[in-house]
Amino acid sequence: MLYFEKRQSVPQRFKVVIPIISLLIGLIIGAIAVAIVGINPLDVYGGILSNAFGSWYAFSETLVAATPLILITAGLIVVFKMNIWNIGAYGQYIMGAIFSSYFALFASNGLSKPIMLSVMVTASMVGGAIWALIPTLLKIFWEVNEVITTLLLNYIALYILKFLMYGPWKNPTSYGFPLSKTFPQNAILPILFNGTRLTIGIIFALIAVLIIWFLIKKSKFGYEIRVIGDNPLAARYAGISVNRDIIIGMAISGALAGLAGMTEVSGIVHYLQVKIGADYGYTAIIVAWIAYLDPLVTILASTLFGGLASGGYSLQITMRVSYGIVGLIESITLFSLVGAQIFLNYKLRWKNGSS
Amino acid sequence: MVEIALETRNITKIFPETVANKDISFKLKKGEIHALLGENGAGKTTLMNILYGIYMPTSGEIFINDQKVIIRSPLDAIKLGIGMIHQHFMLVETLSVLENIILGLKEYGFVINKKTVKEKLKEIESLYSLQTDPNVKVWQTTVGEQQRIEIIKVLFRGANILILDEPTAVLTPQETQSLFKILKKMKDDGKSIIFITHKLEEVMQIADIITVLRRGKVVKTLPKYKTTKSELAQLMVGEAQDCNYLRKKRETNEIILSINKLIVYSDKGTKSLKGIDLDVKRGEILGIAGISGNGQKELVQTIAGLKKVAEGKIIFNGLDITNKHPRFISRLGINYIPADRLAMGVAPNLSGIDNAIMRRYYRFPLSKNGVMNYIKALAYTKMMAKAYKIKLDNPFAPIKLLSGGNMQKLILAREILENPKLLIASYPTRGLDIASTQFFRQKLIEIANKGKAVILLSEDLDEILSLSDRIAVMYEGSIVGILKAEKADKNTIGLMMTGAST
Repeated sequence: MLYFEKRQSVPQRFKVVIPIISLLIGLIIGAIAVAIVGINPLDVYGGILSNAFGSWYAFSETLVAATPLILITAGLIVVFKMNIWNIGAYGQYIMGAIFSSYFALFASNGLSKPIMLSVMVTASMVGGAIWALIPTLLKIFWEVNEVITTLLLNYIALYILKFLMYGPWKNPTSYGFPLSKTFPQNAILPILFNGTRLTIGIIFALIAVLIIWFLIKKSKFGYEIRVIGDNPLAARYAGISVNRDIIIGMAISGALAGLAGMTEVSGIVHYLQVKIGADYGYTAIIVAWIAYLDPLVTILASTLFGGLASGGYSLQITMRVSYGIVGLIESITLFSLVGAQIFLNYKLRWKNGSS
Repeated sequence: MVEIALETRNITKIFPETVANKDISFKLKKGEIHALLGENGAGKTTLMNILYGIYMPTSGEIFINDQKVIIRSPLDAIKLGIGMIHQHFMLVETLSVLENIILGLKEYGFVINKKTVKEKLKEIESLYSLQTDPNVKVWQTTVGEQQRIEIIKVLFRGANILILDEPTAVLTPQETQSLFKILKKMKDDGKSIIFITHKLEEVMQIADIITVLRRGKVVKTLPKYKTTKSELAQLMVGEAQDCNYLRKKRETNEIILSINKLIVYSDKGTKSLKGIDLDVKRGEILGIAGISGNGQKELVQTIAGLKKVAEGKIIFNGLDITNKHPRFISRLGINYIPADRLAMGVAPNLSGIDNAIMRRYYRFPLSKNGVMNYIKALAYTKMMAKAYKIKLDNPFAPIKLLSGGNMQKLILAREILENPKLLIASYPTRGLDIASTQFFRQKLIEIANKGKAVILLSEDLDEILSLSDRIAVMYEGSIVGILKAEKADKNTIGLMMTGAST
């Protein structure tokens, strides 16, 4: 009979081996699915791989997709460690984009680029943080579950964006398309390498990761969030201001999601529109888990997912494969990565005999 | 012929860092109460977890009714007629008693057939005189009732072998006696009972056969009528113990803590403290006695700043600390040892270090300008483990891997090392072995001898009587009386605990 037995301790190497094996299993299942549709799976995987990592340009596109993922995930880690479930990075990302776009669209006159960009960065972080603090205050003062409120605020953020795009902020010359005017030059993030779309947004992301790493591993705040996450009663008993830490954590989380929105509109899209790649807010939740809530591992996990997204996206152009196929592979891989985490804490054993 | 209900042969369980059980063989007869006696970390709980299918033994065999069995999960154990009553109850507080009892059972239909359940329930209840109201929600019941619900739960599943893990740890003397009556009835009915404990008194009262464990091994199995308390104590610890505490005359009249007309509401909105007046003097140990649930916990938690004061005042050293932040209060020198170590005392998945520094992580040298110094934290933890004999082999491992007694020692050490002006100790020696109990009682006395003060809550009246200078007895959220220790005896206090005033 096959059964699970809880591990007494988790060997460190498992944290590396298990995701790799489960990734491979996911890819094999994905291959079977692709083969059933009648496409050669090797072509698809080869295509994704070369479109994601095959050339410098391909890799730069992967990093473009990884940038917002890294930023959002770094913030989510802070609150997830406290067992606060911020599902609202999607909305915080949109609010960050809206807040920074306001300055790009209506207040950019005569400002130098560094000042303009600083204003936009600050605005995006404030916007994201405000959006994250609404559910936080509801939670602290009236014990409203943050999973529901952060999720619902995503829709509200999206509708605010839609309202602006179809209404007051719409570009009068866009022929009915829901998008704003193009940002002026001083509101666009500088490109890091010529010939790519990679902006200094990736530098923001790496700095954010380093700060969050320091915060979690080295700071007093990091100690406090560990205690809160494990036993909030013990935290209160130890004299930790639990509510204050939750507010700070959610503000950080929201601010980084907001900053991700800014790097997207100011760095990649250059105007505000209804579709601004906002799936990042949800993907980041999974990335955070796969990275074991470790900020440094986040860089790796985000790059992997960035590669899947950008490689898959190019695939439909180069190979004329439907993006649905890529989505399928992505979901199966995710499923097996998340599902395999059970093997971290349990081992499968076989024992003969009956009972 | 006496039948053997359960037998283990050479059970060994090796954990990555320790051998918890080594070659344990014992026999449980039908209709017998078999006590498993041992200090903390002797391997009692590990053995029971093996019998209940929570752990698999590394080697060794288990026989039930002379049949070799392999128990892989609690479900297997239940099917074999084994029922376990854990030290920490496994009840769903928001469900009713009835719902808890049938939780997980499939045979009562998708829509629960309450009538058949209630009939069967009545049968069990009348057989063992276990009274409960099946419609009450579990959170509304007392600890003693919750234990009865646990017992009914396992009987309902047809258990013939009952394992009780330190069942009296949370009970009042009266509740303990009624539990013993129930156990005796079950025994007369042919059920077999394994009773895990480290309390000698109870063993002598209830057990037929006693197996003493020490360091994972069976020291001796012997029938009760052939042994004495002192022999058992020697077998448990391997050395004789004496019970004398060094006490000084240390009466002062200087008040360190003064509580005036304190009113506090419980989470459920009822008054849990109904206007308490209490003074604590410098240099004294003030014992607080009472049946659990009469406001003792609320009183001390309120002093520590963990519960909100509705009315009244708390003055410490001339300073008003009513509704102040717990950090503010602890920095003034009030330290609190919580009653429930797992619920409040530790963060179980965090390391020994993280738990050891909980009271001082924010101060120099453990942290400076918001940055932690984990090297200093490790050194501090090692110092604590050494000074207080805490078995902390790996300070980086989750604290939950420690035995309950070692965890308790760490909590005690952590609070005592803060050098408190007032130490509130609730159930400080719960789960400690004899040697550590002596050690920490001595520490409490030292604190009082130094002109500081201790508030002592304990389930153990003997502990309160032997340590306290004065004893306040609580009943239904009020203090019914305060006795001088030399004028107090168990009977008077016991009477006051049921509400009679003096």
